[in-house]
Amino acid sequence: MTTTSHRNSPASNPAGGTPGRKQPTAPSRLRTAGPGPYPWVMAGSISVAVLGSGLSLNGVLRGWAWFMPLITTVLVVSLTLAALRALRAQPLLATLGSFVSLAAVLTFTFCRQDSLAGFIPTTGTFTAVGRLIKRAAETVVSESAPVAPNAGIVFVVCACLGLLVILIDALAVPLSMPAASGIGILAVMVVPATIKPQSVGLAGFLGAAVGYLLILGCSHWFAPDARLQSGAGRGAGQFRRSMVTGGLALALTMVVPLAIPGFETGTFPEGSRLSPWGTSNGLNPMITLGNSLRSPTGSGRITYATSSSAPLYLRSVTIDHFDGETWAPDDRTAQRRAGADRIETGYAVQGEVVNAVTSVSAGQFTSPYLPAPFAPASVNGLNGRWTWDPDTLSIMSTETTTRAQRYVVFSAAPKVTAAALAQATAPPRSISDDFLRVPGNLPDIVRQTADSVTAPAGNNNYAKALAIQKYLRSGAFTYSLQAPVQNGYDGNGLSVLADFLTVKSGYCVHFSSAMAVMARAEGIPSRIAVGYAPGRLTGESVALVGQGSFPEYEVDARDAHAWPELYFEGLGWVPFEPTPSRGVVPDYATESSVAGNLSTNTDEKETLTTPAPVATAPVPIPEVGTPAAGSPGVNPLPAIAAAAAGVLLLVAFLCSPRLSRIALRRRRLSVKPRDDTDDLPPGFKDPAPELAWAELQDLASDYGVPSTSSETPRHFSSRLRSSAALGESGGLDDAAHQAVASLTADFERQRYARLAVAARAAAPRIAVVRESLRNNARWLVRFRADWLPPSMMRRWARALGAPFRAVGALGKAVGWGAVRGWRSLSGVLPQRR
Amino acid sequence: MSGTAKVWVVWNGQAASTGGAAAKAEGHSMESKRQVTVESSPLQGEAYSSLPRDGAGLNGAGLNGHRPQVLDQDRFHDASERILGSINKVIDGKADAAKLALTVLLAQGHLLLEDVPGVGKTLLAKTLARTVDCTVSRIQFTPDLLPSDVTGVSIYNQSSRQFEFRPGAVFANIVIGDEINRASAKTQSALLECMEEHQVTVDGHSYQLGLPFMVVATQNPIEMEGTYPLPEAQRDRFMARISMGYPDKEAEIEMLETHQATSPLAQVTPVVTASDVAAMIATVQQVHVSTAIKEYTVAIGRATRDSARLRLGASPRSLLQLLRAAKATAALDGRDFVLPDDVVDVAESVLAHRIILDRKAASSGDTPQSVLRGILASLPVAQDPPGAWRRDRHAV
Repeated sequence: MTTTSHRNSPASNPAGGTPGRKQPTAPSRLRTAGPGPYPWVMAGSISVAVLGSGLSLNGVLRGWAWFMPLITTVLVVSLTLAALRALRAQPLLATLGSFVSLAAVLTFTFCRQDSLAGFIPTTGTFTAVGRLIKRAAETVVSESAPVAPNAGIVFVVCACLGLLVILIDALAVPLSMPAASGIGILAVMVVPATIKPQSVGLAGFLGAAVGYLLILGCSHWFAPDARLQSGAGRGAGQFRRSMVTGGLALALTMVVPLAIPGFETGTFPEGSRLSPWGTSNGLNPMITLGNSLRSPTGSGRITYATSSSAPLYLRSVTIDHFDGETWAPDDRTAQRRAGADRIETGYAVQGEVVNAVTSVSAGQFTSPYLPAPFAPASVNGLNGRWTWDPDTLSIMSTETTTRAQRYVVFSAAPKVTAAALAQATAPPRSISDDFLRVPGNLPDIVRQTADSVTAPAGNNNYAKALAIQKYLRSGAFTYSLQAPVQNGYDGNGLSVLADFLTVKSGYCVHFSSAMAVMARAEGIPSRIAVGYAPGRLTGESVALVGQGSFPEYEVDARDAHAWPELYFEGLGWVPFEPTPSRGVVPDYATESSVAGNLSTNTDEKETLTTPAPVATAPVPIPEVGTPAAGSPGVNPLPAIAAAAAGVLLLVAFLCSPRLSRIALRRRRLSVKPRDDTDDLPPGFKDPAPELAWAELQDLASDYGVPSTSSETPRHFSSRLRSSAALGESGGLDDAAHQAVASLTADFERQRYARLAVAARAAAPRIAVVRESLRNNARWLVRFRADWLPPSMMRRWARALGAPFRAVGALGKAVGWGAVRGWRSLSGVLPQRR
Repeated sequence: MSGTAKVWVVWNGQAASTGGAAAKAEGHSMESKRQVTVESSPLQGEAYSSLPRDGAGLNGAGLNGHRPQVLDQDRFHDASERILGSINKVIDGKADAAKLALTVLLAQGHLLLEDVPGVGKTLLAKTLARTVDCTVSRIQFTPDLLPSDVTGVSIYNQSSRQFEFRPGAVFANIVIGDEINRASAKTQSALLECMEEHQVTVDGHSYQLGLPFMVVATQNPIEMEGTYPLPEAQRDRFMARISMGYPDKEAEIEMLETHQATSPLAQVTPVVTASDVAAMIATVQQVHVSTAIKEYTVAIGRATRDSARLRLGASPRSLLQLLRAAKATAALDGRDFVLPDDVVDVAESVLAHRIILDRKAASSGDTPQSVLRGILASLPVAQDPPGAWRRDRHAV
């Protein structure tokens, strides 16, 4: 590092004498001027590059609050480097100094209290840093982008980008590999590229590109080597080369994506975000729900049949833990109970209970949480050990998943009516206070909105809930899967909520969490249920044991849904539907029911018990997302066919050089020489010797004796015969030697003589030559000649390169034309002198 | 072919004039009183009459209006082997030079032998001349040699009261110009017309030269004392230039053994007649040159003109001579068609003395030979490179 640095960086020359000796052009000026502006310009370029690429992190981190500390860190580190360089410090010393400054600025920004004099790290600083890193790790694991810019995450970002400044500087200045500094910039951009659905974004790309070009230009301009070569190095040829390179790269970027089909399935479909837990079995279902809804094809198809007269909401998990940053499921592993065959609610329910039996087939859906209708009383037919939580009734397993499970759920939901709800005014007793907890930093807009919306409802919890639901379902809000992503509030934290209430656009996660938080703010216990909205009829029917036959429904990832459940004493948890155009609003939760419409749409046709609360209109659920109705994987035939076709294509691809080589040889040797030379038109040349000659040349080049265009046939022939590839003349391979000689003579005669004398058939002679070549070649050469014949490869390479050569020739012609035009124009124009 | 063509060709010892109007005249000795020495047996006197300028008797015409017979391959091969064998008996270890000299003779060109003194330039020229049974004259070029000594002069004959043309030394089948670069430019250029047009013009009369006609000039390298470099125009008229080079060790020892007592030239006897040579020349002219070869030759010429390392490329005349030399090479190889190899074989000898290096190339150590070798090594022989699809087009 130190040895190379003296040569290329004026900044790193301690005395300025070395550049003086190396630059005879301006030694005196340099000796007095020292490194000049180079370190400062370079520091500026590196800062621009790092901060520019840092721009793309907006969207990974929410908002812009994190950018200020980042600017501070990057600028401090790069200015330290520049100052040390300007003071002609040893390069190693400069790098060490930058590390020190990075530590100082990070301490000052993040751990001021735990340090000496505000910026000198102490042992306390390290524990604080440990806390920050732990916090960042938790955020990374539990949240989805954009994450809230908490201190941990911002610390990690600042530290990483500060280190990046040092790395880029080390690459560009002492190691004099400025082009390699692009790797560091790319490293930053990989994060948004994999996490953000809209990838890096224009601002980040432009910032990074400008910074990178600045670094390159700076090192080109200031490096002493370049200055020495300035006469020759910056000529027109260089400009043309760079133009051609850039143009070619641009053309490739635009053409190649047209040829490569977009990949819509697989681990990382286009626009997908990196999730280590797959798509539908996330640790935090809230995070993955948006991804599921956005997935273009519905995966994780679940079918179910129920005795309930209406399509059911399948409920996987409840999310009740709200720590102010995010909603998360509270596993409460301590109080979970084993055995799903008997499930009891932890609270008392008064009044009627609606029973239903539901048969569920989970298919490919994979999750630790079991989707079941609310409220499950017992689940039969499960494999593995499953536990349930008496508070939330979520059924989960730590050792198996729902994959390929078929089970029957007996559920018993309290019969909820508007009247009962209206009367349920008692304060909640039998549930934990957790469901009422509201974080202290609740944004004002949430509380204000909740208060203003529920103001007309008086003191009745039910009326308040209806008012909130009505407000969220009003025309002011729109359902959109993309708006949160585009506006950067795709998540479920508190600030997200505030953004959502401002923009008034989002999907079920936002609606349900908004209603849940507002309900808690108004004193109603709430939680969010995650699962599936009622799906579509498949048209088939399933017989349930002892219950008769029921229509089958299907749901998949696109039906993923979240809805709030509010607790009313005496009735238990009651689901609401604040999301417009999704799901089915329960009867009790419709506006008209407040007026005292107590009758429910009872359908006693074949239910075994009193009717369940049914929807006002079981309309087909409007579909969201792409209308791809068929779910993949149901019919295995296309997959098998595709796999078979793929294998066939692969085999064909691997065999194609050999096959086309054989075909070419056949075609060449199939031309028989003409025997009767009498009735030939004058000037007729028999093509057979020429084709045989071409075959001989290709054969030789397959076995390692390629012909060159500037050698005569005779010369090539003698070279082939004297090479080791054909063996020794006069020995075993004498026939081959004679064949080569006679093929050469035939070709010469055909090409150069006055009359083409009828030749013998070439095929046997070629076969003799080929046999001899094969016998004398090592197995590797033989293998290559069989499967990847160089002659064929060269042809294909030529064919592939033809468009590029044409473009190059065209560009050259245009360039020359422009130059000539300019010259003639400047000749016509009056000279200034 | 005009019937009135009067071409006088005199062979060593016997007249071979077959033209109807041929008449033997008194022999004019070519012995000059001054520098011109004609070494061969004195010419039988013959009067050179002026020739109508219809070009008859030269192009394609053989001896005295009769088209020489084209030899078949065996006889051609036989004759060429005899000539080469005879030369090789005299000059040891210079088979290439001998073959090239014969090539130039058969291609109706002129040969420039350039090397340091004493390596056998003159010996080669003389041997070639003696092998063929034809008239030979030798001109020793010196600074005071006059053009009229070369071409001839009209002298007033008092008895007949008219001017008579006394032919110069150039009137022979093979003219050996020894140390040609020692003569003044004026005299050197007197050879120009003779060499290019095979005729001499004196006092407004043109006199046709015989067939075969070949100038074999020797010269010392121009750095030697008292030399006038040949102008480019004259160098361009020589078909080929050969550097003899020193013989190798065995050849030199053998030379010392055999040539001590007697001159090797004494044993040389003519092995072919001039008519044989004319027939061989006619045979060479019949050699077929395909379009591909013509394209290749032109490509070589253009490459020399386009080369950045050359100031002066090959002239069209040089390409013509290159092709003629290639034809002779092909014929000597027993073929009736030219191969690219023939062109490549003679290209260096034919072109190297005509092209002029760029100053930068010369200072960087290039020689005309090396530049030519580079051009030949990079120039595609066939216009379609191997591996192109074009070649297989007519296969289907």
